[in-house]
Amino acid sequence: MLLPVLLILPFACSVIAACMPADARNREVWLAGLVSFGSLIGVASLFPRISAGEVIRYEAAWMPAYGLDFVLRVDGLAWLFMVLVLGIGLLVVLYAHYYMSPEDPVPRFFSFLLAFMGAMLGVVMSGNLIQLAVFWELTSVTSFLLIGYWHHRADARRGARMAFTVTASGGLCLFAGVVILGRIVGSYDLDVVLAAGDQVRVHALYFPALLLIVLGALTKSAQFPFHFWLPHAMAAPTPVSAYLHSATMVKAGVFLLMRLWPVLSGTEEWTWLVAGAGVCTLMIGSFAAIFQHDIKGLLAYSTISHLGLITVLLGIGTPLAMVAAIFHTINHATFKASLFMAAGIIDHETGSRDMRILRGLGRHMPITATLAIVASGAMAGVPLLNGFLSKEMFFAETMLVGGDTNWWMSVAALAMGVFSVTYSLRFINVFFGRPQVELPREPHEPPRWMRFPVELLVLLCLIVGVLPALSIDQILYNAVYAVQGAQMPAYDLAVWHGFNVPLAMSLAALVGGALFYRLLRRRFNPDQHDHVPLIHRFSGAQAYENVMSGLSIGADFLIRLFGTTRIQPQLLCMIVAMVAMIAVLGLPSSRHLADPFANLDPLFGLLLAIGCICAVAAAWQAKYHRLAALALLGGTGIVVSVVFLWLSAPDLALTQLMVETVTTVLLLLGLRWLPPRITPKELAIEVPRSVWLRRSRDFVLAVVGGTLLAGTTYAILLRPATDTISDFFLLRALSEGGGTNAVNVLLVDFRGFDTMGEVTVLAAVALTVYALLRRFRPAPESLTQPEQQTNPVDPAITQTPGKQAWSGYLMVAGVYLRLLLPFMLMFAAYLFLRGHNLPGGGFVAGLVFAVAIILQYMLAGAIWVEGHLNLRPFRWLGLGLITACATGLGAWIFGYPFLTSHTLHLDLPVLGELHVPSAFFFDLGVFSVVVGSTMLILIALAHQSIRSHRQPGKNAEPGTQEAA
Amino acid sequence: MSALAWQQHLLLLPVIVPLLTGALLIPVNEKHHQRKYAANLLSTLILLGCALALFNLSDKEYWPSGIGVYLAANWSAPYGIALVADRLAALMLMLTAVLALAVLVFSASRWSRIGVHFHSLFQFLLMGLNGAFLTNDLFNLFVFFEVMLAASYGLVLHGYNVDRIRAGMQYITVNLVASFLFLIGVALIYATAGTLNISDLGARAGALGHDELSLLKIGAGILALAFLTKSAMWPLGFWLPTTYAAASPPVAAMLVLMTKVGVYAMLRVWLQVFPESGGPLAGFGYTALFYGGLLTILFGGVGMLASQTPGRIAGYGAIVSSGTLLAVIGHGQPDLIAAGLFYMLGSTLATAAFMLLIEFIERIRTPGASLLAVTMEAFAIDEKPEEPVGVGIPGTLAFLGLAFAACAMVITGLPPLSGFIAKFSLFHALLNPVSGEPGLQAWALMGLVIAAGLAGIISLMRFGVRTFWAAGTVVPPRLQLSELAPVAALLLLCVGLTVLAGPVTDYLQRAADSLHQPGRYIERVLGEPVVPAPGANGERQ
Repeated sequence: MLLPVLLILPFACSVIAACMPADARNREVWLAGLVSFGSLIGVASLFPRISAGEVIRYEAAWMPAYGLDFVLRVDGLAWLFMVLVLGIGLLVVLYAHYYMSPEDPVPRFFSFLLAFMGAMLGVVMSGNLIQLAVFWELTSVTSFLLIGYWHHRADARRGARMAFTVTASGGLCLFAGVVILGRIVGSYDLDVVLAAGDQVRVHALYFPALLLIVLGALTKSAQFPFHFWLPHAMAAPTPVSAYLHSATMVKAGVFLLMRLWPVLSGTEEWTWLVAGAGVCTLMIGSFAAIFQHDIKGLLAYSTISHLGLITVLLGIGTPLAMVAAIFHTINHATFKASLFMAAGIIDHETGSRDMRILRGLGRHMPITATLAIVASGAMAGVPLLNGFLSKEMFFAETMLVGGDTNWWMSVAALAMGVFSVTYSLRFINVFFGRPQVELPREPHEPPRWMRFPVELLVLLCLIVGVLPALSIDQILYNAVYAVQGAQMPAYDLAVWHGFNVPLAMSLAALVGGALFYRLLRRRFNPDQHDHVPLIHRFSGAQAYENVMSGLSIGADFLIRLFGTTRIQPQLLCMIVAMVAMIAVLGLPSSRHLADPFANLDPLFGLLLAIGCICAVAAAWQAKYHRLAALALLGGTGIVVSVVFLWLSAPDLALTQLMVETVTTVLLLLGLRWLPPRITPKELAIEVPRSVWLRRSRDFVLAVVGGTLLAGTTYAILLRPATDTISDFFLLRALSEGGGTNAVNVLLVDFRGFDTMGEVTVLAAVALTVYALLRRFRPAPESLTQPEQQTNPVDPAITQTPGKQAWSGYLMVAGVYLRLLLPFMLMFAAYLFLRGHNLPGGGFVAGLVFAVAIILQYMLAGAIWVEGHLNLRPFRWLGLGLITACATGLGAWIFGYPFLTSHTLHLDLPVLGELHVPSAFFFDLGVFSVVVGSTMLILIALAHQSIRSHRQPGKNAEPGTQEAA
Repeated sequence: MSALAWQQHLLLLPVIVPLLTGALLIPVNEKHHQRKYAANLLSTLILLGCALALFNLSDKEYWPSGIGVYLAANWSAPYGIALVADRLAALMLMLTAVLALAVLVFSASRWSRIGVHFHSLFQFLLMGLNGAFLTNDLFNLFVFFEVMLAASYGLVLHGYNVDRIRAGMQYITVNLVASFLFLIGVALIYATAGTLNISDLGARAGALGHDELSLLKIGAGILALAFLTKSAMWPLGFWLPTTYAAASPPVAAMLVLMTKVGVYAMLRVWLQVFPESGGPLAGFGYTALFYGGLLTILFGGVGMLASQTPGRIAGYGAIVSSGTLLAVIGHGQPDLIAAGLFYMLGSTLATAAFMLLIEFIERIRTPGASLLAVTMEAFAIDEKPEEPVGVGIPGTLAFLGLAFAACAMVITGLPPLSGFIAKFSLFHALLNPVSGEPGLQAWALMGLVIAAGLAGIISLMRFGVRTFWAAGTVVPPRLQLSELAPVAALLLLCVGLTVLAGPVTDYLQRAADSLHQPGRYIERVLGEPVVPAPGANGERQ
């Protein structure tokens, strides 16, 4: 149970840390310190079991269907990295306590730091590949947040973005790679995967998996050509640089390569990819480090080159190279973390990190200077320090694999050794000489406990360097055993191996480095050059920025090309798709169709022709002559209605007629408020050719689409009636639906559920129109009154519409229409009552009722009608829906499903026997909703005329602009 | 069997409860917005309860095969309208209820108070969504689509300004055309196959002659166009980013779910009528769907890269997720559907949460500062390093930042939230087909999903850095708990999906398995008996 606790603890404390107040510095440090210290003790307690060669596992079910379990697994390698993560974490926490300014909001800092610690532990403890990818990306995220900690600085933002883009992309590659690896092996469990090396290396998917995984590792460990993000990540606070960007996170890449070494290594591809990238990185990193001015920049490039060294060792792939790689990982973590902390101390105490102005610091801070010089010695590979040992192993390995053919490897190794001595010298130069420029602050020694982490790490460098066999042997053995198992190589961790070639190379590097440094100072003073010679043109960072802006611009271009924000192209796409669909699927079998004009009734044909002409003409006129288009549209509607009648569907014909009437009137009312469109002819503008072409295209498309749809319809109509469910409705309408009008029974009984939905649609649309028009103000140009209403000769213009209808020129019409009102209502009631058995029903009755009301509005204006009639459309709507619904629910009481109909047979004294089907009440609800929604839309439109007079500069009387 | 068991009625409640609530609220004056809100909340809670109950009943196989059937108006299928609740429908109902609850609570303090009839329209929208998830009848599906759309027209225009009117115009027009296509498709199908019941259609389709089949295919193809327009497949989905960006945040959050209805309809109709194997119609349209999905992912990914405003980024993100789902359906691999459904759950929740977040982000955004940041990025200007002292982030801003990061993680599929799990299960299913090696299609889909994820990362990070980091000192917005809680809850659900990935994927696998057995639906739906008339032996058919 220790393992999950170790993993969860940092995350839990991260949340706690985030919740502390901004000035709780000490509490934060205690929390973070205790977490790391406690965990470290816990990890240390596992040492005997690890040394015994045990692999400690913890498993919990997660997604068993996908063969994915939550597995924590600690072996020697994981143990070593855990100690690194926790140990350096502890020192960094202590260091950060002094480094961070009192004004810094530390809760965020420590919270992210702890979260990173957890993520990193997750990476090294992961017992399956997917889980590893999860924590991998988490380290990228936390690193992003930590680099951007001082997010008000542009360089921090830029560095954070760059680091995250590179490492997250690599993470995605890794993710894809491990999924493929899991596919090859058939399991994501690390133990299974590690045992399947032979199977993996011969598989067809080996190379893609290898490439993707290596890409993940290279991006994370800042290897060429992705190394450019690391120097920019130095915008982070120095504790972060020491922890993430030298000791732990960047090691995740090499950790991954070590972890999967037994599975992936040992092939040509592996060597070329890994060692190739490593050699490039090692050269570029160590060379560029010499020419940095910022101490942290120098250390960052040095980190890159040392990571390159480890990568080369892993790429070489011999068992001994693996030993050297792991050993150098430990050594690098110790000396580089201490160097970063020393750099931070210099920055903190002098206010500058610029090596061009820093001089003679040894006099002011002698202890720090000594520590830094010792650590630099380790970095340069000075004997009796830990860096010397692992670097010597590196030289030996390059010699071994290089031999005569790959001699360039040894040359690269030697050059790297020379360069690292040179930049180490350049770094320690800040402690000597005498200052030439005034420093921002007077330098002095840091507080005792700020220096402590550096002291401890440097001490470790010394111990390992002098007594490697006693200090590090067992740990190293465990780690190497975890990777290589039975094929443990024999190696000897001694300081003295006698005079041999690697020793000579070490010495040559030391001497060569010193000479090269002197030469540089004489001939090419790095202090006076802003750029790294030779390679500064190949700036990865600039390439990154170019790619990012290129992506943005390119994407924008593509979206303009293949997308649109306008409505016409969108509709074009839809219609083209429809036409294509019919053409592709239908035309091959269209030859079976008979001649459509063989048995055509000329009258019926004429009727259809009129309908077609009206429809086409409506479309033709729609742009500039809306009124004409609307009238033509009405014509089509009437034709459709007559066609229904012709084909013996009186109910449909009646409904269609009423729908046409009401919608046309409402549209006309709305048309009043649309600004007029002036034809190009009237404006004397010539229509551009492109516009003309576009319209012609649309016209052709419309004709083609219409023809194809007509053809499809025709094909359908030609089919002999097979067994459809429609016969059922005709047969059962009377016997079980209780009505002779099958259409109405269909609407209120068989498919009453549909009708209920439809009336809801009606209600929603009415509410929408009302909500939209409630605050709507017509366009200014449509506010002016029509000429007929402004002629001063006409006495009617001084009257309100109400007066006109009561005593003005509309008196005759007014009397008749008012007289007609009760009759129309009666007609509506008649249609409603007969609906179940004869053409009629709630829907059409509601429309007739609405027409009666519309007529009154048209006659006398909104103010007069509403003064005399309280319409309350919302109640009609609400009550209608509730009535329909409640009727349906009534069936529940009798144990039947919703909307089951029942007919009541009443024997009334005068009227005789009466059938009252439950559908009657349902239809009543429909009627009410239709009336309510039509009235609501009518009112919303009519009130425009009342409202528009509030416009400034208008003095017309209310309601004079009544439409129609 | 006499009276219906009460559990049967649970199938109807998700439709009836919002209808009644919406209807009741129409005549209530807007002055009583508190009462309206309370009624709305109560109704939504009832819906959640219903969804939970149905979820349980269908998964515990209370009904045979876990498929509950409700015959509206007591007419047997295929003559009457049948509602069907299976595991998938129950899941969608639950998603709707959860999202609705979050959106409703979010809109309580501000959005529901401006404009009129928000609550009625909201309930009608829920009715349409629930009905579309439950119905097993094509025309009824059309009706519920219309209910949903009619309500959404009103909601898109809610709190209107010029942008919303312009976007609403596009949204309404495109959807009206899509509805026409829907109607044409249904008419052709009915005329050819003689039935509207989806299960019955699947049963009858096999017996059709050659000419009828081609007509049926035309009908189904046009129907699919309607569904694909709603699910925003390229090139039918240009309306989506514009509408998302313009709609008010709560409405945009609901729109996220509405886009998924198109995918759901596709899944339901296609798998029953055109199963992947067996019968003369097997495999019809799958290839087109797959490549359409790929193009959609590509378009969405490029769109995310090109977008600078949060609304449009989210819109293109939704397009990516739609494309992924369409490609998943089109790939025609049964075990992929479960992974796709998991993906849909997470992406819907996170995109909706992101839509709500946009509201807050707009409150803190200072256009000038972010413009400056854009310029500096463009020229890669390095400022003189300032004093290395951090700037404190007030609590509300920290919450916003975290919530934004969480949304971005789910949308782009970064670990550890549900987006990653979804992608993993997708890839796992793609690379481990039941038989044979993964084909080129599988690799293409996997590559595109990863690339779109990367595009999302770049785009969202760019936006996040500019908004939360580069904006200089921003005045922390005043946020109410009722606005924060829904966002937090939606994101916690995403976390929950990750932790409970095992049980959730098992459930989804059962749901997907059941979808791939159309025979069971035919058996259940057509075999469901009506309640006999009292006393009489004249049993209804």
